[in-house]
Amino acid sequence: MNIASRVNNAIIEAVNVSRVFPMPAGPVMAVDDITLRIEHGEHTSIRGPSGCGKSTLLHMLGCVDTPSSGTLLFNGADVATLSDRQRSLVRLRQVGFVFQRFFLLPMLTAAENVELPQAEAGVSKPDRRRRTKELLDYVGLGARAGHRPSELSGGEMQRVAIARALANRPRLLLADEPTGELDRSTGEQIAALLDRVNADGTALVIVTHDQTLAERSRRILTMRDGRIEREESR
Amino acid sequence: MNPLGFAWRSLVRQPARASLGILGVAAVGALLFDMLLLSNGLLVSMRDIFDRAGFDLRVTATEALPGQGPRMQDATAAVDAIARLSNVRSVIAMRFAEALIETTATSRVRVSFQGVGGVGARPWDLVQGREAQGTRELLVNRDTAERLRLAPGSRVQVRASCSEEPESLPPAMFTVTGVADFPFDTSSSPTAVTTLEALGELCGLDAAGQADVIMVASREGATMAATAAQVSAAVPTLQVLTNEEMVGRIESGGFSYFRQISTVLTTVTLSFAVLLITVLLTVSVNQRLGEIAALRALGFTRGRVVADVLCESALIVGGGGLLSLPLGGLLAVGLDGILKNIPGIPEDVHFFVYQSRALGVHAGLLVATALAAALYPVRIVARLPIAATLRNEIVG
Repeated sequence: MNIASRVNNAIIEAVNVSRVFPMPAGPVMAVDDITLRIEHGEHTSIRGPSGCGKSTLLHMLGCVDTPSSGTLLFNGADVATLSDRQRSLVRLRQVGFVFQRFFLLPMLTAAENVELPQAEAGVSKPDRRRRTKELLDYVGLGARAGHRPSELSGGEMQRVAIARALANRPRLLLADEPTGELDRSTGEQIAALLDRVNADGTALVIVTHDQTLAERSRRILTMRDGRIEREESR
Repeated sequence: MNPLGFAWRSLVRQPARASLGILGVAAVGALLFDMLLLSNGLLVSMRDIFDRAGFDLRVTATEALPGQGPRMQDATAAVDAIARLSNVRSVIAMRFAEALIETTATSRVRVSFQGVGGVGARPWDLVQGREAQGTRELLVNRDTAERLRLAPGSRVQVRASCSEEPESLPPAMFTVTGVADFPFDTSSSPTAVTTLEALGELCGLDAAGQADVIMVASREGATMAATAAQVSAAVPTLQVLTNEEMVGRIESGGFSYFRQISTVLTTVTLSFAVLLITVLLTVSVNQRLGEIAALRALGFTRGRVVADVLCESALIVGGGGLLSLPLGGLLAVGLDGILKNIPGIPEDVHFFVYQSRALGVHAGLLVATALAAALYPVRIVARLPIAATLRNEIVG
């Protein structure tokens, strides 16, 4: 496979990417010379001990952080050349984020939380309403559309967060410890939902400590000290 | 959801904090509104009184305000010359003095005594009887009439005091012909008016024909500027002032203190408003850093999250600003009442006068306050490192 076709198949490609954080005690190499491709429809988990650089790598893959060195290509475009606004647009239209702490807006209902990224993307109100209903039904919360986050359980909040992440039909869904705040049973339900999202065509990258969740992926990357120590394909 | 709607929901989310901010801005805005009304109110009020008196122009011997400089020596001739002008409807000469009016040995009152001559309308409203026309006739204001129980036909003894030097001028008997309301009357300011000739006689033969000011009213259709030009040409040795110029003289003669005081107090109140809103918004933003970082991660642009904070500031200031108008209005009425109790303040003079310009400046200053107050929280939001904030939220 030549370079051009490799780039065309990849949603995102990191080439010798490093991320260094300046600290009072000296610079800390959070991500050290990683080369990685995420292709359409992939289901990848990144695991490793705390502080090994998993979340930092995820943030770079999601264009919320930029590498200190190396090249990050999103749909073939060098992320370093994109303005802040262009990176925001990439995140808005092509990447979905699911956070450990959900970060739903407490003053909005579940439906409004899901509508929010669509409104920002300029989707018309009727289309937003239709898509929101479709997504809430998809995550099994059609009946809870008018509920605020404070009226939902942790699992329900994470379902709403997944619906929100899928609102603008992203090609890539990034999840940072999506079951980290949930009990095992609820975590299982969220994992199953994420499997379904991937099966429906969205590439999925999950950062997790949870062995069970990681093992649901077809590709597992194990990180240590900022490097990918091992890569398993299943 | 647009930034304004989003900001509204953010405010409603914390009603106590939002109410505190809005009430704080309302209080500060009310003070600001009152300071703006005060800064120009007295001058606007005086201009209104000048206009209502029905005279466009005032003619004096020098650039000093009427009653504060030397008198015109041949006011009668000047009045005659001005009365002949085509643009002039009324012209009167006025001389200011003081007098002791007595009805009995124990019933006496010191009054502001004016001698008036000329043709046409007078700057007062006759409420009883008729004008004083003969040399021994007197018109008094309500306060004088009440204190001495005078009515048309009453006889009084008048002892004039025509200069600041001690004098011992002979008294004369006068007949009260009427009672009038004078434009610059205070709530307790006895005033009496006679003819210019009568006052000249009381003050001594050398004082005949002297006046402090000549007041001129233009005919309908004649502009003030054209009449002023005619009068200046007719009496070139005298100073001609329009009402506007008169107000300008008054302002430069010491009334600018109100403007200076209001400028200082406006600056102080606005500084408080900026600090209050800055603190509230900063606390609010700092409590939501995780959410803001998540919104940024979801694709909200920097401009959008900045717009949210600006709208939040605008809603607090806008809500408080709207409340501040009725609050400031009520406060102005109360403060005006207090200031009007200062002795010697004419009844019709107000310190707090509504002006649409003040409303515009009030709105402009509040907009500037909203922007200034949002600067620091906007800076926090605009420079928020998304990844580091998300990481800290998890670790925290």
